[in-house]
Amino acid sequence: MNARILFLAGLLGATALGSTGAFAQNSAACTGEAVTLRILRTPGNYPYPAPMEAWQKENPCVKFEINEVPFAQLADTISVQAASSNPPDVLVYDGPNTQSYAASGILLPLTKYLPKDWDEDILPATKAEHSFEGEVYSPGIEQTTVAMYYNKKLVEAAGIKPPQTLDKAWTWPEALAAFKACQQGPAGAPSIWGLGPTRFGNGQPGLVYQDLIYQRSAGDPKAAPESSAYKTFWALSKDGKSVEGYLNTPEAIEALKFYQSLFNSEGVAPKVGIPNAFFDGKACFYIDTPAAGSALIKDPKIEWGITPIPYFKTPIVHTGSTTIGATARSKHPDIAAKFVVDMSTGEYAYMNVSQRGNLPTLKSLFPRFETYNAYPMKVFVDQLQEWGQPRPPGPKFAQYDKLVTDALRAVAFGGDPADLMADAEKKVQRVLDR
Amino acid sequence: MSVSNTLSTASAKPRTRRPATRRQKRDWLFAAGFLAPFMILLLVFQYVPLLVMARNSVYDYSLLNPAAAKFVGLRNFTDMIDYDDAAVSFGVTFLFALGVVVFVIPIAFSLALFLNSKLPARGLVRTMIMLPVVTSSVVVATMWSFLLDPSNGLINGVLNIVGIGNQPFLTSTSQALPALIAMTLWQQVGFGAILFLAGLQGLPVELTEAARIDGATRRQVLWNVTIPLLSRTTLFVVVIMTVFSLQAFAPAFLMTQGGPQESTNLIVYHIYNSAFIMQQAGYASALSVALLLVVLAISMAQMALLRSRWNY
Repeated sequence: MNARILFLAGLLGATALGSTGAFAQNSAACTGEAVTLRILRTPGNYPYPAPMEAWQKENPCVKFEINEVPFAQLADTISVQAASSNPPDVLVYDGPNTQSYAASGILLPLTKYLPKDWDEDILPATKAEHSFEGEVYSPGIEQTTVAMYYNKKLVEAAGIKPPQTLDKAWTWPEALAAFKACQQGPAGAPSIWGLGPTRFGNGQPGLVYQDLIYQRSAGDPKAAPESSAYKTFWALSKDGKSVEGYLNTPEAIEALKFYQSLFNSEGVAPKVGIPNAFFDGKACFYIDTPAAGSALIKDPKIEWGITPIPYFKTPIVHTGSTTIGATARSKHPDIAAKFVVDMSTGEYAYMNVSQRGNLPTLKSLFPRFETYNAYPMKVFVDQLQEWGQPRPPGPKFAQYDKLVTDALRAVAFGGDPADLMADAEKKVQRVLDR
Repeated sequence: MSVSNTLSTASAKPRTRRPATRRQKRDWLFAAGFLAPFMILLLVFQYVPLLVMARNSVYDYSLLNPAAAKFVGLRNFTDMIDYDDAAVSFGVTFLFALGVVVFVIPIAFSLALFLNSKLPARGLVRTMIMLPVVTSSVVVATMWSFLLDPSNGLINGVLNIVGIGNQPFLTSTSQALPALIAMTLWQQVGFGAILFLAGLQGLPVELTEAARIDGATRRQVLWNVTIPLLSRTTLFVVVIMTVFSLQAFAPAFLMTQGGPQESTNLIVYHIYNSAFIMQQAGYASALSVALLLVVLAISMAQMALLRSRWNY
């Protein structure tokens, strides 16, 4: 019995000592209530340790608890955790889902926490993507878009000189001629592809982020709002409530027939993924974000260049990246909001953006990134500022994204574009109507 | 006095039921104690979710905001009729199950006959056919994605050698489902073979010996004695393979994402998609209820049709 009492007394003493130590450590700087912010993010994503540590020095009472899930499981995890009794305080999520999460009451409106000059400083496409019913729900830390990389050696050997500025950008037929001239081997099964496969998802074509721009570029945002050209460009009504007549238009079908030919009759692009095809010299051209350029700058496996994304009638690139927001049901909404806004503005934003090599969302930060001030990476900045559009924003974006991606993929695999787009319109409208 | 005796006496003469003895009470207590962990787990993880699922099937809500659920009555069920996605998905799943069962049964039975014989290399074959069964579905699906690659896949490489051009396999509406059936067949046939082997080894030898003495050929013994006597095992394999196939998820999720054009949109993948991507959790629950009823109906029909008429 004595041994047991001694053991319990020892345990109690050790606990007391430990607690005193932990308290002393915090109490050195923290004079208020200690707060733990729970952050859900993807591995290797922001907020990065350096800006977090710097922020903690200014906010010594705040601790962090970080949970990470792979990007492929991020939306599912948010679906489950957001509705739980103890949701995370801060979410790092895919930017186009902002309106969906805002409409569901998951995200906290951040408009009142933003700095005064934020409105003038933020890229318009980013603000549009992260706003819902007049409120801003995420300031956005970084922004991405896609451009077309090329393998200099292969392209020059084929006698091709890709344009380097937006005003000289190719049309899609001009780009196809370049793909065919550069490709080596039989159409459909070459040793070097004209246009390499995407690295996103499982490598198959059809992703809205990358492939909806074919048909959108066949539209015209300056045409009459009732015209099919106007609707083709926007691909969803402005209020996000109607898609009928926006996907299955004559302009879109014409563009999709061209898109389909790349994978079938012309055989210049593969239907399935080939890991690292471009970096291994197995593709002349390749569409990717600035992350690929940043990786090639650090480790130049091949000689490379960048040409703007081709177009049919109206140049367009999709914007969007992961972004950061505070949850509406956070137990510490003001602190979470302050953290999110601080991480997305000023020096903290610079620290976060410079870590990964994507583009900033604040115009004031662009001059600080030398890489983006000269060719080739300047193409991304120019595209973003001149041609950037969010993917059709709306509270049902995730559903729109899935259904339209399926339809585009089926077109790439050889399905009838008109039938598939009509079917996609019907399915998306069903979701929008619910 | 045993528990069963007590029960039979109680049911025959309820009014004259004698009070339980201390031992009986203790036995009941022990039985309940031993059963409780399993029963609690069964209730919490099987039956309560089933009831919750049935309740959710009459609501329209998103996982992002379940508090805003709206009661919609049978709308989720009428939507299954008004829109063609459920019919297409169930149709694809039935075709998939049919393809798997039709091919697994004869091949697994043939393999079991081989494994039950005294031919050489039985051990090697047994290991070979069991390896896919114990391999993760994710690994199998990934491996087959590489094998079936339309440009550089091993299977297309072999076809090229014999003069056949590249086949699109997973990107073709006509070939994607057969490709998934072939993969599932490769993975599941070993399990079927082991079940048949167990059945074969349980057959009384004297029956086949008697048939042989009566002058029956090996083929006649197989057709008239072995196969009829294996009807219980066959029923079990058919039901298990059907249920496995109706519940298949990994091939559609990992290899085709239900495409192209929904040609591989298996029902469990469709349910997942409806709940987590389309954020129609109520509709997904209704689909799950329908699947549950379909699986029950098919299993009962199979048990009725393939009921054993022979005993040994």
